[in-house]
Amino acid sequence: MKPLRLTACLAVATALAAPLAAPVAAEEVTIDLWSRADRSGPLRAQNIVDAAALVNRMFEAAGSPTRVKINLIETNHEGFDADALDVLKAHSVGQTPDIIVAAHEWIGAFVEAGMAANLEAHIAANPWFYDDIIPGLWESVTYRGERYGIPQDSEVRMMFFNNDILRKMGKSEEFIADLPAAVNRGEFTAWDYCDLAAEAVSSGAAEVGWVHRPNVGPDFQMVMAAFGIRIYNPEAAKLQITRSGLETYYGWLKHCVDNGSLPADITSWSWDSVHGAFRGGKALSQLHGIWNVGPHQQAFGLDPHDQEGFFRQFTWTNAPASEKGGRPANLSHPIIYVVAEGPQKDLAAMLVGLASLPVPNTEHAVTTNHTPITHGQTAMPRFLRDGWALIAGVPLLEYAEYMPNHARIGQFNAITYQGVQAVETGEMTPSEAAAMVIEELETELGDDVIILD
Amino acid sequence: MPPSPRQRARLDAAVFLGPALVLLGLFFVFPIVVNLFVAVSEMNQTVRFGAFSGREAMKLFRPNPEALLGFELRPVFLSALSLTVTFTALTLLFFNVGLALVLALATTALPDRQGAFFRSVWLLPRMSPSVVYALLWIWVVDSSPRGLLNQIAMGLFGLETPLNLRLDHPMLVIVLANGFIGASLGMIIFTSAIRSIPGHLFHAARVDGAGPFSVIRHVVLPALRWPIGYITIYQTLALIVSFEYIFLIMGPARQTMTLAMLAYTRTLAPGIGAGQYAYGAAILLILIGIGIGLGLLLWRFIDMNRLLQRPRIETL
Repeated sequence: MKPLRLTACLAVATALAAPLAAPVAAEEVTIDLWSRADRSGPLRAQNIVDAAALVNRMFEAAGSPTRVKINLIETNHEGFDADALDVLKAHSVGQTPDIIVAAHEWIGAFVEAGMAANLEAHIAANPWFYDDIIPGLWESVTYRGERYGIPQDSEVRMMFFNNDILRKMGKSEEFIADLPAAVNRGEFTAWDYCDLAAEAVSSGAAEVGWVHRPNVGPDFQMVMAAFGIRIYNPEAAKLQITRSGLETYYGWLKHCVDNGSLPADITSWSWDSVHGAFRGGKALSQLHGIWNVGPHQQAFGLDPHDQEGFFRQFTWTNAPASEKGGRPANLSHPIIYVVAEGPQKDLAAMLVGLASLPVPNTEHAVTTNHTPITHGQTAMPRFLRDGWALIAGVPLLEYAEYMPNHARIGQFNAITYQGVQAVETGEMTPSEAAAMVIEELETELGDDVIILD
Repeated sequence: MPPSPRQRARLDAAVFLGPALVLLGLFFVFPIVVNLFVAVSEMNQTVRFGAFSGREAMKLFRPNPEALLGFELRPVFLSALSLTVTFTALTLLFFNVGLALVLALATTALPDRQGAFFRSVWLLPRMSPSVVYALLWIWVVDSSPRGLLNQIAMGLFGLETPLNLRLDHPMLVIVLANGFIGASLGMIIFTSAIRSIPGHLFHAARVDGAGPFSVIRHVVLPALRWPIGYITIYQTLALIVSFEYIFLIMGPARQTMTLAMLAYTRTLAPGIGAGQYAYGAAILLILIGIGIGLGLLLWRFIDMNRLLQRPRIETL
């Protein structure tokens, strides 16, 4: 028995002494980062990972055993709407991530679900991070007067034109060069746009007149704004719609389909087909955003640094107004970092602050053609060298609006998109589609929407 | 103490029926109960049960003083309902039962090897992954001259403008796509039923001077009554909730927005207004109701009770 007792005593003593003898164990803090695998912005997630690496180097230098680990939850959704719904699902079953990369208009839904943390105190306490942020961008993360996110970028959207097709149609260089200004002056209207695209098809210069996105998205709201449709009432904090505005807007889409400039079944195309039509030189024009500059250049074999070459091949304009003399429209759609309520929100917010500093944000901006978030970035050599398209796009921002941060905006967009489908495929007349959309909005959104006429 | 015969009988019943009952409850009854709860809740965007007000479910209806109950189904559901009926009826009639029967009759009339070859060809769509199958269909009906159908129509038949079936005849596309897959199950069941008809009945019919059509009418079809009834019920129930190929080929197109598609787009489909879980569950309640009603009706109509009776073995 004796040897056994001795062994037991030794084992207990060793176990008790172990914590004293061994080096201090590292404490790992894991931050869950939720991000869509987005080809047009991979650095939004990577910058957080790099920020954690920076923090770890600081801990190391201070001799602290603490380490921050980023657990990247990368989703594969086609769009930010589906992604936002998925993160809300995760939140409702207690799997809320600490940082979420999201489209700004989901802020309202995130706050209502009790997920997004109020960042007012964090922003006020950390001027190093945030004092140079372009003030207008804060609007995109504000819900009920308070800020719940940090903007990561912004962008402009545009009608891209293929100049070669315009030339093939016999349009003069003066006409092409004046097109953006003519749109801004309100001389070249949305109706003229469709007619020009139809002429491209009828003259044989293009197979397709113009293409828009094949699914729900902010581009449609930009066109609606050009038709004078204001979808948000800030005083009442409610969404709103006008029957007459919808009828005119849907009437314009019908005109575009009828005159052969817009494929009637485009809402059932794939994204690849939509991009392929323009990048393959078959379509005169495409409605989308500035982040397409890189892929467009690549498809046409242009040098990425050659601004002159780009504008020899392409022209871009705002969404033309619906009436002569009207104001064109643009739409900026910032993607933001949201910090979730929870025990780690302070650390998560600091990582977001670090990832929003000029160097990492400029890297994101110039590699994916998104406009930067601070004033200072526009003077950085990296930005001046690689961000020419963004500088060229800045004048369009004058006409830009944001999507409202209303909790039901996703549903609102989906319903108005049904009207687009119904009219383009010939299922309904514009007035029938407007009536259908208004009934759906009234039923599905109830008190959250005001019907103006 | 050994169990009494009655206890023993109960124990045996629990052992033999228990697993099946648990599975039935878990996978068939429980989802319906959950769906019912979701439908009367206000679940929207987050998957949390909030108040049970039935507010979302009421969105299916709109007030109409002239209607019998003071309210009626909203047009979007009426349209979805009529598309569901059209889709189910056409697919069933022309493919899942109709074509299946023709294939079974034709392939059993061929020599065994040839028959087996043609049957396996018809099984190929069923064996391909659904996304691959859908992509093939998208290529077949592509509206550009590069689509397979257009290559044939324009190259062989000299058609001048390309066909755009997805835009002009969307119902035809989803009926064809679902039908070519759905025909195989009926084909196999009918083939095996035809094979089980005693050979002497065919010989006797031939001796009596029956031609091929008379043989089909008077010998084969009467023997296929039960399999046809079974396939009709099974495929009807499957088709009214089917949306996989519709979504993959047509996307969220309004012209093919059947009830199952509507429920999917309102709840889980990516990027087209999903997240309205209570609303989608309420739509599914309609489908569950239709499914149960239709199943019972067809059961009665086809007299399935007789099929499921204990076989009466002839005593010699």
